[in-house]
Amino acid sequence: MPARLTASELRTCLGDGDRTFAGLLAGASGIGPLRHGDPTALNVAHGYHIDDGADRAFAASRWVADCAARAVAAGGLDPRRRRVIALVGTGLRELAAVEAYATGGDAFGAHRLHFGDAVHAAVPGLREVVTVSNACSAGGHVLALAEDLLMLADADAVLVCGVDATTESMLAMIGRVVDHPTEAVRPFDADRQGVLLGDGAAAAVLVPDDDTRPALARVVATGLSCDAHHETAPSVAGITRAMRDALARAGREPAEVDLVVAHGTGTALNDPAECEALRQVLVAGGADPLVTAVKGATGHTSGAAALVNLDVARRCLSQRRVPPVVGLRQPLPEGTGLRFPTVATGHTARLVQSDAFGFGGVNAVTLVEAP
Amino acid sequence: MTSPLTAPGPTRSTGTTAPVTVRVAGWSLHLPEADGLAADLAAWSDTSASRLTATLADAVPADRAHQVLGRKGLLYKEPATRLALCAVHRALGLPPGRHLPDGVDPRTAVVVAGNLGNVATVADLARTVHAEGGRAVSPLAAPNASSNVVASTVALWFGLGAANLMVCSGATAGLDAVRAAMLLLRAGRADRVLVVGAEPADEVATELHQAGRPAFPLRAGAACLVLTTTAVPGTGPVLGPSDGRAAYRRIGPGGFDPAARWGDCYGAAGVVNLALAATLLDAGLPGPVAVACGDDTDGRRELLLDAAPGAGR
Repeated sequence: MPARLTASELRTCLGDGDRTFAGLLAGASGIGPLRHGDPTALNVAHGYHIDDGADRAFAASRWVADCAARAVAAGGLDPRRRRVIALVGTGLRELAAVEAYATGGDAFGAHRLHFGDAVHAAVPGLREVVTVSNACSAGGHVLALAEDLLMLADADAVLVCGVDATTESMLAMIGRVVDHPTEAVRPFDADRQGVLLGDGAAAAVLVPDDDTRPALARVVATGLSCDAHHETAPSVAGITRAMRDALARAGREPAEVDLVVAHGTGTALNDPAECEALRQVLVAGGADPLVTAVKGATGHTSGAAALVNLDVARRCLSQRRVPPVVGLRQPLPEGTGLRFPTVATGHTARLVQSDAFGFGGVNAVTLVEAP
Repeated sequence: MTSPLTAPGPTRSTGTTAPVTVRVAGWSLHLPEADGLAADLAAWSDTSASRLTATLADAVPADRAHQVLGRKGLLYKEPATRLALCAVHRALGLPPGRHLPDGVDPRTAVVVAGNLGNVATVADLARTVHAEGGRAVSPLAAPNASSNVVASTVALWFGLGAANLMVCSGATAGLDAVRAAMLLLRAGRADRVLVVGAEPADEVATELHQAGRPAFPLRAGAACLVLTTTAVPGTGPVLGPSDGRAAYRRIGPGGFDPAARWGDCYGAAGVVNLALAATLLDAGLPGPVAVACGDDTDGRRELLLDAAPGAGR
């Protein structure tokens, strides 16, 4: 149900939210040599890393705490005076620390696997911090819960966070399913090679829809579904249910969606399924949206990805420009009939759909409009 | 006036506002080696030991999950996932063996609580990569590298297509999951939610748990709650916020705490404690029962469970 976005802060390989959007518009990519793990052993040579000069240990906690503090300050929120709950979406928690421990490092308290400590310390006065580990759509799932908390008046404001730092176990899986290391993420490209991970963190402040403070965007609704179909392969039926759920909860028609910030992982399985779902729900419903995607520039930021998409969506709305799909040269055949911008494009969007799909078929689709 | 156990219903743009009361329509406990817990709990609560013993009996360990679930499909399933599947299977009252879903039920959601379910797999993958390289890892382990594997596997196994959440917030995860499930029901995102708590007790999990909660030994176990609203026909105790009402008894920190008496199911503890409370109410314990979980590090959570209205006690 509708809520207002009063702050949105990012940290990606391209920098903060301003730098990330500027980089996207310029067609930049944050890809670089893999900095976490042995490229030869992993069969992964590149990553989209945040390089803050600090140790990799508990980097996700550090990045999400930084974004959370900035978002609360930017949103003008005093959690000591209002009921503010923080929800942190993540795919990989601090599993990198488990890997370090397993390969010779020290054991650490299990409470450091999640983000309660880090976010409480960064934002004093929060009622509680709950970590939701929902793979690559975790940010979208906590966004949905935040909307529900506000709609049901269980909180005065919700600090919605998403974060992931690269883990070796996930890199090993990515390298295991390709013959040669993927050179770059190329969403919706006919010659896409697969996905690469991006470090990323995001934090957004959501307040009730009747809040009168200046807002960056209006989060109209988030639809959720689970494929219950396959452990790793996405299902068009499951994805379309999430899209239709978002539209139904928003009371909107498919034809109103005129921009999609797609999930677009550049994998063999996701991109055709996402295209088919967009065709079945939006195009068949009379829409002709622009479809952009960010992972060619930022890598797959997993738990942060949905909130990175949300930040891009709100900037598209306010700046009336849509960034290109970085890495896209020749659209995949399944994308026929969809409009993918390959250069920055002027576009006055009214209703933006932001997609996030995760391992295990967990889908979250958010609709956003100008405040 | 609104009952303390009800909350405002969803303000849908097209619908009306109605209070939504959440009920525990079914539950199970799957705690291997918990026979002593039944007797201990019966003595403490002054209720019939037979009801508790029956509820806590037959909980096979993860490596014998096939006795509940059938043999097919369990390859590469981690202990926490197996225990979770057993708990759901029992809460749904299914006979032994795999029961393939007829299709996808789009109105039943799954919320799982647990923190340590995949740490052994992640540790093993990292050791394998360091020792033998990435080619030595099995792609079949891929789903287990993602922490939400328990929740998505429950959905896949039973064909449950509404929202699917994995709550990993430490000692509070169990009741965080229950509250998330109540939110899904109140917001109209599901008609039924299976809440599952599941933790393993392998070497990696035990060492990380010990480093953070040395006062309690980690125990492998799972529990499942079937939550619906009172709009759905059926019976079962009613769940609501802890709002200062006096509770007859308390399960969890500050009351009868299974973590101290038997062992700590950590992220599953809130769900385990709630299922124990439901069992006690069913055995005749007067309500309401306060159910708590958490610790000084992660904070505390508490809910109130009361006998079904009109239960005649």
